[in-house]
Amino acid sequence: MPASQSQSQSLPPLPEPAHAALSGYHALASGHDELLAPDGTLRPHWTRFAQTLATQGPSELTRGWDAAQRQLRDNGVTYNVYDDSRGMDRPWQLDPIPLLVSADEWRKLDRGLSQRAYLLNLVLDDIYGSRSLLRQRVLPPELVFRNPAFLRTCHRSLARGARYLHLYAADLARDATGAYWVLGDRTQAPSGMGYALENRVVLSRAFSGLYRECRVERLAPFFRSLLEVIQRLSPRGVDRPHAVLLTPGPYNETYFEHAYLARYLGLTLVEGGDLTVRNRVVYLKTLSGLSRVDVILRRLDDSFCDPLALRADSTLGVPGLVSAVRAGNVTVANALGSGVVECAAMLPYMPALCRHLLGEDLALPSAPAKWCGEPGVLDYVRENIDTLVLKPAFARADTPEPVFPATLSRAEKDALLARVAAKPVAWVAQERIAFSSAPVWTGQAAEPHRVTFRCYALGDGPGYTTMPGGLTRVAHDERDTIVSMQRGAGSKDTWVLAERPVTHFSLLGRQAERMTVSRSGNDLPSRVADNLYWLGRYVERVESTARLSRALVSRLLDDTRSGEPGVLTTLYAAFRAQHMLPATSRLPAETAVADEIERELMRQLRSQDSSYALLSSLTGAYRAASVVRDRISRDTWHVLSQLDDQRHALIETRARSGASEMLDALDRLVLSCGTFAGLEMENLSRTFGFRFMDLGRRLERARNTSMLVVNTVGSVRVEEASLLAALLDTLDNGITYRRRYQDVMQAAPVLDLVLTDESNPRSIAFQLAATLEHVRLLPRAVEDPLRTPEERLALGMLTRARLCDIEALCEPASDSDRPQLRAHLADLDRDLPALSDAITQGYLAHALPQRTFGQDR
Amino acid sequence: MADQEAHDSRHESKEVTYRIRHATSYVYGDSVTLAHNEARLTPRNGPWQVAHSARLVVEPTPAFMARERDYFGNWLTLFALQEPHRHFLVTAYAEVTVRAPFLPDPEDTPPWEEVRELLTKSHDPDVFEAVEHVFESPYVQLLPELREYALESFTPGRPLLAAAVDLSSRIHHDFEYEPGATTVATPVATVLAERRGVCQDFAHLMIGCIRSLGLSARYVSGYLRTRSPAGQPRRVGADASHAWVSVFCPGYDFIDIDPTNDMLVTTEHPTLAWGRDYGDVSPLCGVLLGGGQHRVEVAVDVEPIDDEDDDEPD
Repeated sequence: MPASQSQSQSLPPLPEPAHAALSGYHALASGHDELLAPDGTLRPHWTRFAQTLATQGPSELTRGWDAAQRQLRDNGVTYNVYDDSRGMDRPWQLDPIPLLVSADEWRKLDRGLSQRAYLLNLVLDDIYGSRSLLRQRVLPPELVFRNPAFLRTCHRSLARGARYLHLYAADLARDATGAYWVLGDRTQAPSGMGYALENRVVLSRAFSGLYRECRVERLAPFFRSLLEVIQRLSPRGVDRPHAVLLTPGPYNETYFEHAYLARYLGLTLVEGGDLTVRNRVVYLKTLSGLSRVDVILRRLDDSFCDPLALRADSTLGVPGLVSAVRAGNVTVANALGSGVVECAAMLPYMPALCRHLLGEDLALPSAPAKWCGEPGVLDYVRENIDTLVLKPAFARADTPEPVFPATLSRAEKDALLARVAAKPVAWVAQERIAFSSAPVWTGQAAEPHRVTFRCYALGDGPGYTTMPGGLTRVAHDERDTIVSMQRGAGSKDTWVLAERPVTHFSLLGRQAERMTVSRSGNDLPSRVADNLYWLGRYVERVESTARLSRALVSRLLDDTRSGEPGVLTTLYAAFRAQHMLPATSRLPAETAVADEIERELMRQLRSQDSSYALLSSLTGAYRAASVVRDRISRDTWHVLSQLDDQRHALIETRARSGASEMLDALDRLVLSCGTFAGLEMENLSRTFGFRFMDLGRRLERARNTSMLVVNTVGSVRVEEASLLAALLDTLDNGITYRRRYQDVMQAAPVLDLVLTDESNPRSIAFQLAATLEHVRLLPRAVEDPLRTPEERLALGMLTRARLCDIEALCEPASDSDRPQLRAHLADLDRDLPALSDAITQGYLAHALPQRTFGQDR
Repeated sequence: MADQEAHDSRHESKEVTYRIRHATSYVYGDSVTLAHNEARLTPRNGPWQVAHSARLVVEPTPAFMARERDYFGNWLTLFALQEPHRHFLVTAYAEVTVRAPFLPDPEDTPPWEEVRELLTKSHDPDVFEAVEHVFESPYVQLLPELREYALESFTPGRPLLAAAVDLSSRIHHDFEYEPGATTVATPVATVLAERRGVCQDFAHLMIGCIRSLGLSARYVSGYLRTRSPAGQPRRVGADASHAWVSVFCPGYDFIDIDPTNDMLVTTEHPTLAWGRDYGDVSPLCGVLLGGGQHRVEVAVDVEPIDDEDDDEPD
């Protein structure tokens, strides 16, 4: 490979196979093409990429594509599309061919982006301070005064000259000449950085050779600077400020990214309900009380951040947050109110603002646009309507979707013009730009799709640092001229090519200040603990249902045991009890029992009617995990994805598919649950998070085992030996039992193993001992020498298990019932839910619904 | 000043001092565990009004309380209740001296079109403050119907204040004062169509009319003296907090007009706060956890301290 990339205009000859890799690619008829010059030759900065790809053979793209897709799926990279039938968690689309930006081009972009960010920050400082731009009418006052994003309560909330804009993003496109234009500025909570980073991680791994050869600027230093900036923002000036990432929650379109960034940057991911303001200070509600928050990196839009001072109907925000900001007790990044400059109506004034405030021209111009509230613009719109895009003036530049009059009928155009004329101030007319195109891999060939770019800048020191790269978004297909993620657009990694070899940079190698050794994990938000607790319960519920169902299905399939309909009906009754279904009243004729149970069981396993149904538990587990994504390791997430795939498979299996197919499915579920449990036990530190998840598991297992025992051996039946075997089988205790007692099935030794043997991780006593240990170690608000209610309950149950007389429990009464066993298990049945309630009361009590008032006259 | 002399004849007195008590009580069905509140219950100070003593008493005692000025210069009291409670009482006490403003002869004010022009061009700081109140705001949509209604009063070249007074009279005449017919969420368009409402509705309506012409008007929240001066008809809206309109008139800053009572405001209207519309000056609002159903009661007393005021000749 040549050591340096030629900057000359002469094109180096391409080796023949290069054409094979991107063969058949043609630029679109109009617009700039990123890969090919108008004469059809490769643009110079793609040479090294094409040559390297050529040496690796034509199958390289296909291989990399598969690898990338797999990794994205395994990592659970998703984007939520509103109003989509697939709803949540649409898989993220990444094209294997990156977008290449030459060093020369990037230098210009870098300067332009930094300048724009710097300028917009000055504009914000003016709008929320002296408002001289409005007084002097450099900016029409109406653009601010009637802009819903201008938050009057945030006026003078920061000191003069303070930074409003910490993170800035610009949406860019290239016109037919290849010139870059800004389509919109993102100034309150720019999204996409996390996806850009994930794209890079995936692509640099899938095409490691190509990536090295191309000498691509690294993204990691940008994120390191981001973390350093966040830590410096603390108003208290403490060493290690408490910084959180505020998310609207899992229903937001980019929730994946919030969790991803929080984990990558080491910030606590919080929802509005996790925070509370006391005496103008923001606190995180944790298990061990309130923990002060210094910095909030927010992904919540301005107006939702405080239902008291801003939008009263917001349930996502933190009441009192504005007053905490005004008191200088917390830094919110970007500052509240910074959304005022991201509306489309601001774009036409950027050149004048730049000259006025910086005394220089805009290096990176806005797409040519006019605000219809200016005199004369309405006539201009009428005359040029087909070459324009009309955008709502005060909405963010990209939402709602702009109107393209050229695609409308005459009548629709007239209607649109009438709407604009009725309220011109509400519209912006922008000249339409034919976006550039870039090769997109379809699996067999590359075809040209339109692209736009989102680039990022970070306020660091006096100026701004840009992220060398960004998020390139590609239109859904070759004909689509609109690029919108909500419309199903895909993405590309963006490779900024370095002029010199890139030094390898790792986040591990940084020279950080010396950290104090700490093992505390007390900052676990109560909401997170709650979800971990339920994750533990749901996964255990899945496992116990799968195990019991498997025992049933295998007996349905096994001819040698099918002569015992009593075993089938008893196990099925246990299944129904576990699902909180009423006992079946009608008993079919003995010969039809197996068929009837098989039909019913297959239906139950595919039903979502009961909250205890298998599918409901699987959904519950996935939901709970999604909400605490930042706390879930990649490996664990992989297992959860498997469980979710298996849920889909269960739904999709034909209703009449056979029991053997179901047996396979149940086997896979049991194994996945086992993997999950293994990862939990071996990989999680014994933090409070672990304790809550394990508490969930232990309480659920104790409940299910207790129900199984009472429903199988609560009475003495003729099939007792087979039922005891099925019990051991379901609990995976068969081998232990046979080692101790060979094949002699008797109630007392079986119940000793499943009720009271604390060395058996499936026994009830084991669950109770683990539960007691957990509740003893949970944090307490006050040091109280007395036992907490949850400790008393756990200790009581464990003590009863330890003291019980197994032989007496097995003693049947005259009606063949085992009254002592039933009484023993009834105590458990009473105390286990009470313990769960006590834990919820003590630690997990959810915030009560929040309401606003002030609408009364 | 000659002007002052000339217009004093229109006033029943040059200044009146009031004792104001404004109590708001909430009773909740369930316990409230945390409540963050904002109150705008402390009267503004200005050349035409002096608040001698103003205090806010909250029961139960708030864990936190602070007073600051909001964007429009109104007093804003922030307070939080952090202990579980089932009732909540806020009582605002104040003694306020209201002075009669200098009012020009309505026919001597500039033509309204000239004021509109000034608002779009002037770099004068006083005018800039008025520019804030020219545009649509959350409770005041600018509708073609409002403009049409307004244009009947705002005939070409008519002096601004004369047109505004006429508009106020027409609203007073055309609309029925009917408590309970509307809520704070009733849009101005509905009020216009149904021709009824309460003082907030009439204020929003009149503001919408004036702004739809490109002029500036703000919303004023305050009180009306409970008993009218002797010989005057009983005013409407005196038993609760009241609202009226303030119109920007160059040279005289803002001039207050009460469309509910069809009068230019002089000394009967102690001012609490002003803003673009009700949303900027809501006397008491909050966010709370818990509470369930709630019942609210408001009691307002506005009495002149010196009863002699009542006997002053017209």
